Amino acid sequence: MNFGGTPTVYTRPLARLIEQLQRLPGVGPKTAQRLALHILKQPETEVHALAQALVEAKHQVGLCSVCFHLSAEPVCEICRDANRDPYTICVVSDSRDVIALERTREYRGKYHVLGGLISPMDGIGPDQLHIAQLVRRVSKQDIKEVILAISPSVEGETTTLYVGQLLKPFTRVTRIAFGLPMGGDLEYADEVTLARALEGRRDLD
Amino acid sequence: MYLKTLHLQQFRNYRDQQVKFSAPKTILVGDNAQGKSNLLEAVELLATLRSHRALRDRELVLEGEQIGQISATLERHATPVDLSLIVRSSGRRTVSQNGETLRRQLDFLGVMNAVQFSSLDLELVRGSPSERRNWLDTLLTQLEPVYAYILQQYHTVLRQRNAFLKQQSGELSTPMDLAAESDLTQLAIWDAQLAAIGSRVIRRRARVLERLAPLAQTWHQAISNSTEKLEIHYAPNVAAESDDPSAIQQAFLDKLKLRAVAEQHQGTTLVGPHRDEVEFIINHTPARQYGSQGQQRTLVLALKLAELKLIEAVIGEPPLLLLDDVLAELDLNRQNKLLETIQDHFQTLITTTHLGSFDAQWLKSSQIFTIHAGRVLESG
Ligand SMILES: Nc1ncnc2c1ncn2[C@@H]1O[C@H](COP(=O)(O)OP(=O)(O)OP(=O)(O)O)[C@@H](O)[C@H]1O
Ligand SMILES: [Mg+2]
Ligand SMILES: [Zn+2]
Repeated sequence: MNFGGTPTVYTRPLARLIEQLQRLPGVGPKTAQRLALHILKQPETEVHALAQALVEAKHQVGLCSVCFHLSAEPVCEICRDANRDPYTICVVSDSRDVIALERTREYRGKYHVLGGLISPMDGIGPDQLHIAQLVRRVSKQDIKEVILAISPSVEGETTTLYVGQLLKPFTRVTRIAFGLPMGGDLEYADEVTLARALEGRRDLD
Repeated sequence: MYLKTLHLQQFRNYRDQQVKFSAPKTILVGDNAQGKSNLLEAVELLATLRSHRALRDRELVLEGEQIGQISATLERHATPVDLSLIVRSSGRRTVSQNGETLRRQLDFLGVMNAVQFSSLDLELVRGSPSERRNWLDTLLTQLEPVYAYILQQYHTVLRQRNAFLKQQSGELSTPMDLAAESDLTQLAIWDAQLAAIGSRVIRRRARVLERLAPLAQTWHQAISNSTEKLEIHYAPNVAAESDDPSAIQQAFLDKLKLRAVAEQHQGTTLVGPHRDEVEFIINHTPARQYGSQGQQRTLVLALKLAELKLIEAVIGEPPLLLLDDVLAELDLNRQNKLLETIQDHFQTLITTTHLGSFDAQWLKSSQIFTIHAGRVLESG
Protein backbone atom coordinates (compact mmCIF):
# COMPACT_ATOMS: atom_id res chain seq x y z
CA MET A 1 0.00 0.00 0.00
CA ASN A 2 1.16 3.49 -0.78
CA PHE A 3 0.78 5.79 2.18
CA GLY A 4 0.78 9.47 1.43
CA GLY A 5 1.82 10.37 -2.08
CA THR A 6 -0.37 13.08 -3.56
CA PRO A 7 -0.52 12.81 -7.36
CA THR A 8 2.09 14.71 -9.29
CA VAL A 9 1.04 17.46 -11.64
CA TYR A 10 0.00 16.28 -15.11
CA THR A 11 0.10 18.31 -18.24
CA ARG A 12 -3.35 19.73 -18.94
CA PRO A 13 -4.79 17.36 -21.58
CA LEU A 14 -3.50 14.35 -19.67
CA ALA A 15 -5.06 15.62 -16.46
CA ARG A 16 -8.35 16.00 -18.30
CA LEU A 17 -8.21 12.44 -19.61
CA ILE A 18 -7.44 11.07 -16.16
CA GLU A 19 -10.26 13.08 -14.71
CA GLN A 20 -12.73 11.69 -17.26
CA LEU A 21 -11.59 8.13 -16.72
CA GLN A 22 -11.84 8.51 -13.00
CA ARG A 23 -15.52 9.29 -13.30
CA LEU A 24 -16.14 5.75 -14.50
CA PRO A 25 -17.46 3.36 -11.89
CA GLY A 26 -14.81 1.29 -10.18
CA VAL A 27 -11.95 3.41 -11.49
CA GLY A 28 -9.83 5.09 -8.84
CA PRO A 29 -7.07 7.62 -9.34
CA LYS A 30 -4.38 5.00 -9.79
CA THR A 31 -6.27 2.95 -12.34
CA ALA A 32 -7.23 6.12 -14.18
CA GLN A 33 -3.59 7.12 -14.40
CA ARG A 34 -2.56 3.70 -15.64
CA LEU A 35 -5.29 3.66 -18.30
CA ALA A 36 -4.48 7.17 -19.45
CA LEU A 37 -0.77 6.46 -19.81
CA HIS A 38 -1.59 3.26 -21.64
CA ILE A 39 -3.84 5.09 -24.06
CA LEU A 40 -1.13 7.64 -24.79
CA LYS A 41 1.27 4.88 -25.71
CA GLN A 42 -1.15 3.36 -28.24
CA PRO A 43 -0.92 4.16 -31.97
CA GLU A 44 -3.28 6.92 -33.00
CA THR A 45 -5.50 4.56 -35.02
CA GLU A 46 -6.17 2.50 -31.91
CA VAL A 47 -7.10 5.55 -29.94
CA HIS A 48 -9.42 6.68 -32.72
CA ALA A 49 -11.08 3.31 -32.76
CA LEU A 50 -11.68 3.54 -29.02
CA ALA A 51 -13.09 7.05 -29.21
CA GLN A 52 -15.30 6.08 -32.14
CA ALA A 53 -16.56 2.99 -30.36
CA LEU A 54 -17.53 5.10 -27.37
CA VAL A 55 -19.45 7.64 -29.41
CA GLU A 56 -21.11 5.10 -31.68
CA ALA A 57 -22.21 2.91 -28.82
CA LYS A 58 -23.77 5.92 -27.19
CA HIS A 59 -25.53 6.92 -30.43
CA GLN A 60 -26.70 3.55 -31.50
CA VAL A 61 -27.55 1.66 -28.37
CA GLY A 62 -30.93 2.44 -26.91
CA LEU A 63 -33.55 0.41 -25.10
CA CYS A 64 -35.64 -2.38 -26.57
CA SER A 65 -39.21 -1.13 -26.86
CA VAL A 66 -40.57 -4.41 -25.50
CA CYS A 67 -38.28 -5.45 -22.66
CA PHE A 68 -36.09 -2.34 -22.13
CA HIS A 69 -32.86 -4.29 -22.41
CA LEU A 70 -30.03 -2.45 -24.14
CA SER A 71 -30.40 -2.85 -27.89
CA ALA A 72 -29.23 -1.27 -31.13
CA GLU A 73 -32.50 -2.31 -32.79
CA PRO A 74 -35.99 -1.12 -31.83
CA VAL A 75 -36.67 -4.66 -30.59
CA CYS A 76 -33.77 -6.58 -29.09
CA GLU A 77 -32.38 -9.93 -30.22
CA ILE A 78 -33.79 -11.81 -27.26
CA CYS A 79 -37.30 -10.50 -27.87
CA ARG A 80 -37.02 -11.39 -31.58
CA ASP A 81 -35.63 -14.88 -30.99
CA ALA A 82 -38.36 -17.31 -32.05
CA ASN A 83 -36.63 -20.17 -30.28
CA ARG A 84 -37.14 -18.67 -26.88
CA ASP A 85 -40.11 -19.42 -24.69
CA PRO A 86 -42.52 -16.47 -25.15
CA TYR A 87 -44.70 -17.46 -22.17
CA THR A 88 -42.14 -16.77 -19.47
CA ILE A 89 -40.79 -13.36 -18.47
CA CYS A 90 -37.88 -12.86 -16.12
CA VAL A 91 -37.96 -9.44 -14.43
CA VAL A 92 -34.65 -7.82 -13.49
CA SER A 93 -33.67 -4.37 -12.36
CA ASP A 94 -30.84 -3.72 -14.78
CA SER A 95 -29.47 -4.78 -18.16
CA ARG A 96 -26.38 -6.10 -16.39
CA ASP A 97 -28.60 -8.71 -14.77
CA VAL A 98 -29.83 -9.89 -18.19
CA ILE A 99 -26.24 -10.38 -19.21
CA ALA A 100 -25.43 -12.27 -16.00
CA LEU A 101 -28.45 -14.55 -16.41
CA GLU A 102 -27.73 -15.14 -20.10
CA ARG A 103 -24.29 -16.40 -19.15
CA THR A 104 -25.86 -19.20 -17.14
CA ARG A 105 -27.49 -20.56 -20.38
CA GLU A 106 -30.12 -21.91 -18.01
CA TYR A 107 -32.92 -19.56 -18.90
CA ARG A 108 -34.76 -19.73 -22.22
CA GLY A 109 -37.60 -17.26 -21.70
CA LYS A 110 -37.87 -13.52 -22.23
CA TYR A 111 -36.91 -10.60 -19.99
CA HIS A 112 -38.19 -7.33 -18.68
CA VAL A 113 -35.74 -4.72 -17.40
CA LEU A 114 -37.19 -2.35 -14.82
CA GLY A 115 -34.38 0.17 -15.05
CA GLY A 116 -33.76 0.44 -11.30
CA LEU A 117 -35.39 -0.26 -7.96
CA ILE A 118 -38.01 1.58 -5.94
CA SER A 119 -36.10 3.99 -3.73
CA PRO A 120 -37.94 7.01 -2.32
CA MET A 121 -34.65 8.42 -1.01
CA ASP A 122 -33.46 8.73 -4.59
CA GLY A 123 -36.84 9.94 -5.79
CA ILE A 124 -37.49 6.67 -7.62
CA GLY A 125 -41.06 5.42 -7.43
CA PRO A 126 -42.88 2.90 -9.61
CA ASP A 127 -43.55 5.59 -12.20
CA GLN A 128 -39.86 6.09 -12.81
CA LEU A 129 -39.45 2.39 -13.63
CA HIS A 130 -40.78 0.29 -16.52
CA ILE A 131 -43.42 -1.27 -14.32
CA ALA A 132 -46.57 -0.06 -16.11
CA GLN A 133 -45.16 -1.46 -19.36
CA LEU A 134 -44.59 -4.79 -17.67
CA VAL A 135 -48.14 -4.94 -16.36
CA ARG A 136 -49.43 -4.14 -19.84
CA ARG A 137 -47.24 -6.84 -21.36
CA VAL A 138 -48.39 -9.47 -18.90
CA SER A 139 -52.07 -8.54 -18.99
CA LYS A 140 -52.28 -8.41 -22.79
CA GLN A 141 -50.34 -11.55 -23.61
CA ASP A 142 -50.65 -15.12 -22.64
CA ILE A 143 -47.90 -15.27 -20.04
CA LYS A 144 -47.61 -18.47 -17.98
CA GLU A 145 -45.04 -17.34 -15.46
CA VAL A 146 -43.23 -14.23 -14.38
CA ILE A 147 -39.96 -14.83 -12.52
CA LEU A 148 -38.77 -11.98 -10.34
CA ALA A 149 -34.97 -12.03 -10.21
CA ILE A 150 -34.21 -8.97 -8.18
CA SER A 151 -31.42 -8.72 -5.62
CA PRO A 152 -32.55 -9.17 -2.00
CA SER A 153 -31.61 -5.70 -0.77
CA VAL A 154 -34.18 -3.61 1.07
CA GLU A 155 -35.05 -1.77 -2.16
CA GLY A 156 -35.01 -4.99 -4.15
CA GLU A 157 -37.40 -6.63 -1.72
CA THR A 158 -39.82 -3.70 -1.91
CA THR A 159 -39.69 -3.74 -5.70
CA THR A 160 -40.21 -7.51 -5.80
CA LEU A 161 -43.26 -7.30 -3.54
CA TYR A 162 -44.68 -4.33 -5.41
CA VAL A 163 -44.34 -5.82 -8.87
CA GLY A 164 -45.56 -9.16 -7.54
CA GLN A 165 -48.78 -7.63 -6.27
CA LEU A 166 -49.53 -5.94 -9.57
CA LEU A 167 -48.92 -9.08 -11.60
CA LYS A 168 -50.56 -11.71 -9.45
CA PRO A 169 -54.08 -11.13 -10.88
CA PHE A 170 -52.78 -12.06 -14.32
CA THR A 171 -50.35 -14.92 -13.98
CA ARG A 172 -48.21 -17.12 -11.79
CA VAL A 173 -45.45 -15.10 -10.15
CA THR A 174 -42.32 -16.67 -8.72
CA ARG A 175 -39.11 -15.26 -7.31
CA ILE A 176 -35.72 -16.82 -7.53
CA ALA A 177 -34.28 -18.24 -4.36
CA PHE A 178 -31.26 -16.37 -3.20
CA GLY A 179 -28.22 -18.05 -1.84
CA LEU A 180 -26.53 -14.87 -2.90
CA PRO A 181 -24.02 -12.95 -0.85
CA MET A 182 -25.66 -10.51 1.51
CA GLY A 183 -26.28 -7.19 -0.09
CA GLY A 184 -24.85 -8.73 -3.23
CA ASP A 185 -25.78 -7.79 -6.73
CA LEU A 186 -26.94 -10.32 -9.23
CA GLU A 187 -24.01 -9.24 -11.31
CA TYR A 188 -21.52 -10.54 -8.79
CA ALA A 189 -23.19 -13.86 -8.23
CA ASP A 190 -21.28 -16.59 -9.94
CA GLU A 191 -22.95 -18.56 -12.68
CA VAL A 192 -23.39 -21.71 -10.65
CA THR A 193 -25.16 -19.81 -7.87
CA LEU A 194 -27.42 -18.07 -10.34
CA ALA A 195 -28.28 -21.26 -12.17
CA ARG A 196 -29.16 -22.94 -8.90
CA ALA A 197 -31.19 -19.93 -7.81
CA LEU A 198 -33.21 -20.14 -11.01
CA GLU A 199 -34.01 -23.79 -10.41
CA GLY A 200 -34.98 -23.17 -6.81
CA ARG A 201 -37.46 -20.38 -7.47
CA ARG A 202 -40.64 -20.33 -5.44
CA ASP A 203 -44.09 -18.79 -5.67
CA LEU A 204 -44.36 -15.28 -4.37
CA ASP A 205 -46.80 -15.18 -1.49
CA MET B 1 -8.38 -13.16 24.47
CA TYR B 2 -5.14 -11.33 24.43
CA LEU B 3 -4.06 -8.42 22.29
CA LYS B 4 -0.38 -8.95 21.56
CA THR B 5 0.52 -6.16 19.19
CA LEU B 6 -1.03 -3.06 17.75
CA HIS B 7 0.26 -1.14 14.78
CA LEU B 8 -1.12 2.30 14.00
CA GLN B 9 -0.35 3.88 10.66
CA GLN B 10 -1.59 7.35 9.89
CA PHE B 11 -4.32 6.87 12.42
CA ARG B 12 -5.38 10.01 14.33
CA ASN B 13 -2.18 11.64 15.60
CA TYR B 14 -0.05 8.51 15.11
CA ARG B 15 2.12 8.37 11.98
CA ASP B 16 3.62 4.94 12.40
CA GLN B 17 3.61 3.31 15.81
CA GLN B 18 4.10 -0.28 16.87
CA VAL B 19 2.98 -1.31 20.33
CA LYS B 20 3.74 -4.62 21.99
CA PHE B 21 1.69 -5.65 24.99
CA SER B 22 3.54 -7.78 27.48
CA ALA B 23 1.33 -7.73 30.58
CA PRO B 24 -2.38 -8.22 31.15
CA LYS B 25 -2.59 -4.65 32.36
CA THR B 26 -1.24 -1.69 30.44
CA ILE B 27 -1.29 1.86 31.74
CA LEU B 28 -1.05 4.65 29.19
CA VAL B 29 0.07 7.80 30.92
CA GLY B 30 0.44 11.22 29.36
CA ASP B 31 -0.67 14.83 29.32
CA ASN B 32 -3.90 15.89 27.72
CA ALA B 33 -4.29 15.64 23.96
CA GLN B 34 -1.30 13.35 23.39
CA GLY B 35 -3.10 10.33 21.91
CA LYS B 36 -4.13 8.10 24.83
CA SER B 37 -7.79 7.92 23.89
CA ASN B 38 -6.85 7.64 20.23
CA LEU B 39 -5.06 4.39 20.97
CA LEU B 40 -8.05 2.97 22.82
CA GLU B 41 -10.27 4.10 19.98
CA ALA B 42 -8.18 2.04 17.57
CA VAL B 43 -8.84 -1.06 19.67
CA GLU B 44 -12.52 -0.21 19.91
CA LEU B 45 -12.71 0.06 16.13
CA LEU B 46 -11.19 -3.37 15.63
CA ALA B 47 -13.70 -4.83 18.06
CA THR B 48 -16.86 -3.11 16.88
CA LEU B 49 -16.07 -1.26 13.64
CA ARG B 50 -17.60 1.68 15.46
CA SER B 51 -16.10 4.61 17.25
CA HIS B 52 -18.01 6.28 20.01
CA ARG B 53 -16.52 9.65 19.13
CA ALA B 54 -15.80 9.86 15.40
CA LEU B 55 -18.68 10.79 13.15
CA ARG B 56 -16.74 10.27 9.94
CA ASP B 57 -13.75 8.19 8.96
CA ARG B 58 -12.10 11.37 7.72
CA GLU B 59 -11.45 12.27 11.39
CA LEU B 60 -9.67 8.97 11.95
CA VAL B 61 -7.04 9.49 9.28
CA LEU B 62 -3.93 11.48 10.17
CA GLU B 63 -4.49 15.04 9.07
CA GLY B 64 -3.25 15.67 5.56
CA GLU B 65 -3.40 11.98 4.60
CA GLN B 66 -6.01 9.96 2.71
CA ILE B 67 -5.63 6.59 4.25
CA GLY B 68 -4.81 5.07 7.61
CA GLN B 69 -4.51 1.57 8.99
CA ILE B 70 -4.93 -0.23 12.28
CA SER B 71 -3.43 -3.70 12.50
CA ALA B 72 -3.28 -6.06 15.42
CA THR B 73 -2.30 -9.53 16.42
CA LEU B 74 -4.74 -11.11 18.78
CA GLU B 75 -4.58 -14.40 20.58
CA ARG B 76 -7.96 -16.01 20.65
CA HIS B 77 -8.68 -19.57 21.72
CA ALA B 78 -4.90 -19.91 21.89
CA THR B 79 -4.60 -19.16 18.19
CA PRO B 80 -3.05 -15.98 16.83
CA VAL B 81 -5.26 -13.92 14.50
CA ASP B 82 -4.09 -10.94 12.46
CA LEU B 83 -6.65 -8.22 12.03
CA SER B 84 -6.43 -5.11 9.96
CA LEU B 85 -8.74 -2.22 9.25
CA ILE B 86 -7.99 0.37 6.60
CA VAL B 87 -9.87 3.63 6.92
CA ARG B 88 -9.97 6.26 4.23
CA SER B 89 -11.01 9.86 4.28
CA SER B 90 -13.41 8.90 1.49
CA GLY B 91 -15.20 6.71 4.05
CA ARG B 92 -14.49 3.42 2.29
CA ARG B 93 -13.13 0.72 4.59
CA THR B 94 -11.26 -2.48 4.01
CA VAL B 95 -11.11 -5.20 6.63
CA SER B 96 -8.88 -8.22 6.55
CA GLN B 97 -8.18 -11.19 8.69
CA ASN B 98 -4.92 -13.12 8.49
CA GLY B 99 -3.97 -11.12 5.45
CA GLU B 100 -7.12 -11.96 3.54
CA THR B 101 -9.51 -9.16 2.63
CA LEU B 102 -13.03 -9.92 3.81
CA ARG B 103 -15.87 -9.08 1.46
CA ARG B 104 -18.34 -8.55 4.25
CA GLN B 105 -17.46 -6.36 7.21
CA LEU B 106 -19.81 -8.57 9.15
CA ASP B 107 -17.24 -11.36 9.12
CA PHE B 108 -14.76 -9.08 10.85
CA LEU B 109 -17.02 -8.42 13.80
CA GLY B 110 -16.91 -10.69 16.77
CA VAL B 111 -13.29 -11.74 16.27
CA MET B 112 -12.05 -9.30 18.86
CA ASN B 113 -14.24 -8.27 21.75
CA ALA B 114 -13.83 -5.25 23.97
CA VAL B 115 -15.77 -3.31 26.55
CA GLN B 116 -15.13 0.40 26.55
CA PHE B 117 -15.59 2.40 29.72
CA SER B 118 -14.92 6.10 29.68
CA SER B 119 -15.86 9.07 31.77
CA LEU B 120 -18.36 9.92 29.05
CA ASP B 121 -20.32 6.84 29.95
CA LEU B 122 -22.32 8.65 32.60
CA GLU B 123 -24.26 9.82 29.56
CA LEU B 124 -25.47 6.27 29.36
CA VAL B 125 -27.60 7.01 32.39
CA ARG B 126 -28.19 10.71 32.02
CA GLY B 127 -28.28 11.17 28.29
CA SER B 128 -31.04 10.76 25.75
CA PRO B 129 -32.50 7.35 24.88
CA SER B 130 -30.30 7.20 21.78
CA GLU B 131 -27.26 6.82 24.07
CA ARG B 132 -28.76 3.70 25.56
CA ARG B 133 -29.82 2.32 22.19
CA ASN B 134 -26.28 2.82 20.87
CA TRP B 135 -24.79 1.10 23.86
CA LEU B 136 -27.14 -1.83 23.50
CA ASP B 137 -26.52 -2.08 19.75
CA THR B 138 -22.76 -2.05 20.20
CA LEU B 139 -22.97 -4.84 22.72
CA LEU B 140 -25.31 -6.86 20.51
CA THR B 141 -23.04 -6.46 17.54
CA GLN B 142 -20.25 -8.09 19.49
CA LEU B 143 -22.42 -10.92 20.72
CA GLU B 144 -24.19 -11.59 17.45
CA PRO B 145 -22.38 -10.03 14.49
CA VAL B 146 -25.38 -10.66 12.23
CA TYR B 147 -27.13 -8.00 14.29
CA ALA B 148 -24.98 -5.37 12.55
CA TYR B 149 -26.54 -6.47 9.29
CA ILE B 150 -30.08 -6.49 10.68
CA LEU B 151 -29.62 -3.03 12.16
CA GLN B 152 -28.26 -1.63 8.95
CA GLN B 153 -31.20 -3.09 7.06
CA TYR B 154 -33.58 -1.57 9.56
CA HIS B 155 -32.05 1.86 9.13
CA THR B 156 -32.26 1.55 5.37
CA VAL B 157 -35.95 0.68 5.52
CA LEU B 158 -36.49 3.50 7.97
CA ARG B 159 -34.81 6.08 5.76
CA GLN B 160 -36.68 4.87 2.70
CA ARG B 161 -39.99 4.88 4.50
CA ASN B 162 -39.32 8.36 5.88
CA ALA B 163 -38.49 9.62 2.41
CA PHE B 164 -41.70 8.10 1.14
CA LEU B 165 -43.80 9.64 3.93
CA LYS B 166 -42.19 13.00 3.31
CA GLN B 167 -43.08 12.83 -0.38
CA GLN B 168 -46.64 11.96 0.53
CA SER B 169 -47.02 14.75 3.04
CA GLY B 170 -45.54 17.11 0.44
CA GLU B 171 -48.17 16.16 -2.11
CA LEU B 172 -50.55 18.93 -1.12
CA SER B 173 -52.14 17.04 1.73
CA THR B 174 -54.16 14.45 -0.12
CA PRO B 175 -55.48 12.42 2.77
CA MET B 176 -54.19 8.85 2.66
CA ASP B 177 -57.65 7.44 1.96
CA LEU B 178 -57.79 9.43 -1.28
CA ALA B 179 -54.22 8.71 -2.26
CA ALA B 180 -53.45 6.74 -5.37
CA GLU B 181 -53.82 3.03 -4.95
CA SER B 182 -50.23 2.50 -6.02
CA ASP B 183 -49.07 4.70 -3.14
CA LEU B 184 -51.10 2.69 -0.69
CA THR B 185 -49.63 -0.50 -2.07
CA GLN B 186 -46.14 0.88 -1.69
CA LEU B 187 -46.75 2.13 1.83
CA ALA B 188 -48.12 -1.26 2.87
CA ILE B 189 -44.93 -2.89 1.60
CA TRP B 190 -42.69 -0.45 3.49
CA ASP B 191 -44.83 -1.11 6.57
CA ALA B 192 -44.41 -4.84 6.21
CA GLN B 193 -40.65 -4.54 5.78
CA LEU B 194 -40.30 -2.17 8.70
CA ALA B 195 -42.29 -4.54 10.90
CA ALA B 196 -40.44 -7.65 9.73
CA ILE B 197 -36.94 -6.27 10.21
CA GLY B 198 -37.90 -4.08 13.16
CA SER B 199 -39.20 -7.03 15.10
CA ARG B 200 -35.90 -8.81 14.63
CA VAL B 201 -34.20 -5.79 16.23
CA ILE B 202 -36.72 -5.75 19.07
CA ARG B 203 -36.40 -9.44 19.85
CA ARG B 204 -32.64 -9.30 19.97
CA ARG B 205 -32.60 -6.24 22.19
CA ALA B 206 -35.07 -7.86 24.55
CA ARG B 207 -33.04 -11.04 24.63
CA VAL B 208 -29.72 -9.38 25.45
CA LEU B 209 -31.23 -7.24 28.18
CA GLU B 210 -32.81 -10.28 29.71
CA ARG B 211 -29.38 -11.83 30.09
CA LEU B 212 -27.59 -8.64 31.07
CA ALA B 213 -30.04 -7.40 33.68
CA PRO B 214 -29.43 -10.03 36.38
CA LEU B 215 -25.66 -9.67 36.00
CA ALA B 216 -25.85 -5.90 36.35
CA GLN B 217 -28.21 -6.27 39.26
CA THR B 218 -25.77 -8.48 41.14
CA TRP B 219 -22.89 -6.12 40.52
CA HIS B 220 -24.88 -3.08 41.50
CA GLN B 221 -25.84 -4.73 44.72
CA ALA B 222 -22.23 -5.67 45.47
CA ILE B 223 -20.83 -2.23 44.72
CA SER B 224 -23.49 -0.47 46.75
CA ASN B 225 -22.96 -2.90 49.63
CA SER B 226 -26.51 -4.16 49.26
CA THR B 227 -28.06 -0.77 49.92
CA GLU B 228 -29.45 -0.45 46.42
CA LYS B 229 -31.58 -2.54 44.16
CA LEU B 230 -31.25 -2.08 40.42
CA GLU B 231 -33.91 -2.95 37.89
CA ILE B 232 -33.46 -2.73 34.15
CA HIS B 233 -36.51 -2.52 31.93
CA TYR B 234 -36.58 -2.67 28.21
CA ALA B 235 -39.25 -0.23 27.03
CA PRO B 236 -39.72 -1.03 23.37
CA ASN B 237 -41.69 1.45 21.33
CA VAL B 238 -43.64 -1.49 20.00
CA ALA B 239 -44.69 -3.66 22.91
CA ALA B 240 -46.10 -7.10 22.29
CA GLU B 241 -47.84 -9.63 24.49
CA SER B 242 -45.37 -12.35 23.66
CA ASP B 243 -41.89 -12.88 22.34
CA ASP B 244 -43.26 -14.68 19.30
CA PRO B 245 -41.96 -13.08 16.07
CA SER B 246 -45.37 -13.00 14.43
CA ALA B 247 -46.96 -11.49 17.56
CA ILE B 248 -44.40 -8.68 17.54
CA GLN B 249 -44.88 -8.08 13.84
CA GLN B 250 -48.62 -7.90 14.30
CA ALA B 251 -48.29 -5.47 17.21
CA PHE B 252 -45.95 -3.43 15.03
CA LEU B 253 -48.44 -3.27 12.16
CA ASP B 254 -51.28 -2.45 14.54
CA LYS B 255 -49.36 0.44 16.01
CA LEU B 256 -48.43 1.71 12.55
CA LYS B 257 -52.11 1.77 11.69
CA LEU B 258 -52.86 3.63 14.90
CA ARG B 259 -50.26 6.29 14.18
CA ALA B 260 -50.86 6.51 10.43
CA VAL B 261 -52.43 9.96 10.48
CA ALA B 262 -49.72 11.43 12.70
CA GLU B 263 -47.01 9.86 10.56
CA GLN B 264 -48.52 11.23 7.40
CA HIS B 265 -48.84 14.62 8.99
CA GLN B 266 -45.27 14.72 10.26
CA GLY B 267 -43.81 12.95 7.27
CA THR B 268 -41.72 10.62 9.38
CA THR B 269 -41.84 7.19 10.99
CA LEU B 270 -43.06 7.39 14.57
CA VAL B 271 -43.22 3.68 15.33
CA GLY B 272 -40.36 1.26 15.77
CA PRO B 273 -37.20 0.34 17.66
CA HIS B 274 -35.49 3.59 16.66
CA ARG B 275 -37.67 4.96 19.47
CA ASP B 276 -36.88 2.31 22.05
CA GLU B 277 -35.82 3.16 25.58
CA VAL B 278 -34.02 1.27 28.31
CA GLU B 279 -35.00 2.27 31.84
CA PHE B 280 -32.68 2.01 34.80
CA ILE B 281 -34.44 2.03 38.12
CA ILE B 282 -32.65 2.22 41.46
CA ASN B 283 -34.71 1.52 44.56
CA HIS B 284 -37.90 2.06 42.56
CA THR B 285 -36.75 5.46 41.29
CA PRO B 286 -35.68 6.24 37.70
CA ALA B 287 -31.91 6.74 37.79
CA ARG B 288 -31.91 9.07 34.84
CA GLN B 289 -33.71 11.94 36.51
CA TYR B 290 -33.35 11.17 40.18
CA GLY B 291 -30.15 9.19 40.63
CA SER B 292 -27.36 10.90 42.55
CA GLN B 293 -23.94 11.21 40.90
CA GLY B 294 -22.70 8.37 43.06
CA GLN B 295 -25.62 6.13 42.18
CA GLN B 296 -25.17 6.87 38.51
CA ARG B 297 -21.48 5.99 38.69
CA THR B 298 -22.26 2.76 40.49
CA LEU B 299 -24.82 1.96 37.84
CA VAL B 300 -22.46 2.54 34.91
CA LEU B 301 -19.77 0.49 36.58
CA ALA B 302 -22.24 -2.33 37.22
CA LEU B 303 -23.34 -2.22 33.57
CA LYS B 304 -19.76 -2.40 32.34
CA LEU B 305 -18.88 -5.30 34.62
CA ALA B 306 -22.04 -7.06 33.46
CA GLU B 307 -21.00 -6.51 29.84
CA LEU B 308 -17.62 -8.08 30.53
CA LYS B 309 -19.20 -11.13 32.10
CA LEU B 310 -21.89 -11.50 29.46
CA ILE B 311 -19.43 -11.30 26.57
CA GLU B 312 -17.24 -13.82 28.31
CA ALA B 313 -20.17 -16.16 28.87
CA VAL B 314 -21.34 -15.94 25.26
CA ILE B 315 -17.97 -15.90 23.49
CA GLY B 316 -16.24 -18.25 25.87
CA GLU B 317 -13.28 -15.94 26.34
CA PRO B 318 -12.72 -12.81 28.41
CA PRO B 319 -12.97 -9.63 26.32
CA LEU B 320 -10.55 -6.71 26.55
CA LEU B 321 -11.41 -3.86 28.86
CA LEU B 322 -10.65 -0.30 27.81
CA LEU B 323 -10.70 2.17 30.69
CA ASP B 324 -10.46 5.72 29.47
CA ASP B 325 -9.87 8.23 32.27
CA VAL B 326 -12.36 6.56 34.57
CA LEU B 327 -10.25 5.10 37.29
CA ALA B 328 -9.42 8.42 38.90
CA GLU B 329 -13.11 9.26 38.95
CA LEU B 330 -14.12 6.25 40.98
CA ASP B 331 -13.87 6.28 44.74
CA LEU B 332 -11.75 3.65 46.47
CA ASN B 333 -14.60 1.23 47.05
CA ARG B 334 -15.61 1.28 43.41
CA GLN B 335 -11.99 1.15 42.23
CA ASN B 336 -11.42 -1.95 44.31
CA LYS B 337 -14.54 -3.68 43.02
CA LEU B 338 -13.35 -3.04 39.51
CA LEU B 339 -9.78 -4.13 40.15
CA GLU B 340 -10.88 -7.29 41.96
CA THR B 341 -12.93 -8.26 38.96
CA ILE B 342 -10.25 -7.54 36.41
CA GLN B 343 -7.31 -9.14 38.21
CA ASP B 344 -5.28 -10.73 35.46
CA HIS B 345 -8.35 -12.23 33.90
CA PHE B 346 -9.38 -9.40 31.59
CA GLN B 347 -6.64 -7.75 29.59
CA THR B 348 -7.04 -4.09 30.40
CA LEU B 349 -5.78 -0.87 28.82
CA ILE B 350 -6.00 2.11 31.14
CA THR B 351 -5.39 5.75 30.33
CA THR B 352 -4.50 8.36 32.91
CA THR B 353 -2.78 11.69 33.20
CA HIS B 354 -1.21 10.81 36.55
CA LEU B 355 0.08 7.59 38.01
CA GLY B 356 -0.61 8.95 41.48
CA SER B 357 -4.09 7.51 41.71
CA PHE B 358 -2.88 3.94 41.25
CA ASP B 359 -2.32 1.43 43.95
CA ALA B 360 1.37 0.44 44.22
CA GLN B 361 0.58 -3.22 43.68
CA TRP B 362 -1.07 -2.29 40.44
CA LEU B 363 1.75 -0.18 39.17
CA LYS B 364 4.13 -3.06 39.80
CA SER B 365 2.15 -5.59 37.86
CA SER B 366 1.39 -3.30 34.91
CA GLN B 367 3.21 -2.42 31.78
CA ILE B 368 3.47 1.37 31.62
CA PHE B 369 3.64 3.41 28.45
CA THR B 370 4.14 7.13 28.22
CA ILE B 371 2.19 8.74 25.42
CA HIS B 372 3.54 11.94 24.01
CA ALA B 373 2.51 13.66 20.77
CA GLY B 374 1.46 10.49 19.01
CA ARG B 375 4.43 8.43 20.17
CA VAL B 376 4.38 5.52 22.59
CA LEU B 377 7.38 5.05 24.85
CA GLU B 378 7.82 2.14 27.19
CA SER B 379 8.81 3.37 30.60
CA GLY B 380 8.67 0.75 33.23
N1 LIG C 1 -7.01 12.88 12.42
C1 LIG C 1 -6.12 13.44 13.24
N2 LIG C 1 -4.91 13.82 12.76
C2 LIG C 1 -3.99 14.39 13.57
N3 LIG C 1 -4.19 14.60 14.88
C3 LIG C 1 -5.36 14.25 15.40
C4 LIG C 1 -6.38 13.63 14.63
N4 LIG C 1 -7.43 13.38 15.41
C5 LIG C 1 -7.10 13.81 16.64
N5 LIG C 1 -5.86 14.32 16.66
C6 LIG C 1 -5.12 14.89 17.78
O1 LIG C 1 -5.09 13.94 18.81
C7 LIG C 1 -5.07 14.63 20.05
C8 LIG C 1 -6.11 14.07 20.97
O2 LIG C 1 -5.73 12.80 21.32
P1 LIG C 1 -6.52 12.00 22.45
O3 LIG C 1 -7.96 12.26 22.36
O4 LIG C 1 -6.05 10.61 22.35
O5 LIG C 1 -5.96 12.72 23.73
P2 LIG C 1 -5.69 12.10 25.16
O6 LIG C 1 -4.26 11.77 25.26
O7 LIG C 1 -6.67 11.04 25.43
O8 LIG C 1 -5.96 13.38 26.04
P3 LIG C 1 -6.92 13.60 27.32
O9 LIG C 1 -6.08 13.27 28.49
O10 LIG C 1 -7.25 15.03 27.25
O11 LIG C 1 -8.10 12.72 27.17
C9 LIG C 1 -5.35 16.07 19.79
O12 LIG C 1 -4.14 16.78 19.86
C10 LIG C 1 -5.87 16.06 18.38
O13 LIG C 1 -5.54 17.24 17.71
MG1 LIG D 1 -8.52 11.03 26.40
ZN1 LIG E 1 -36.25 -6.89 -25.79
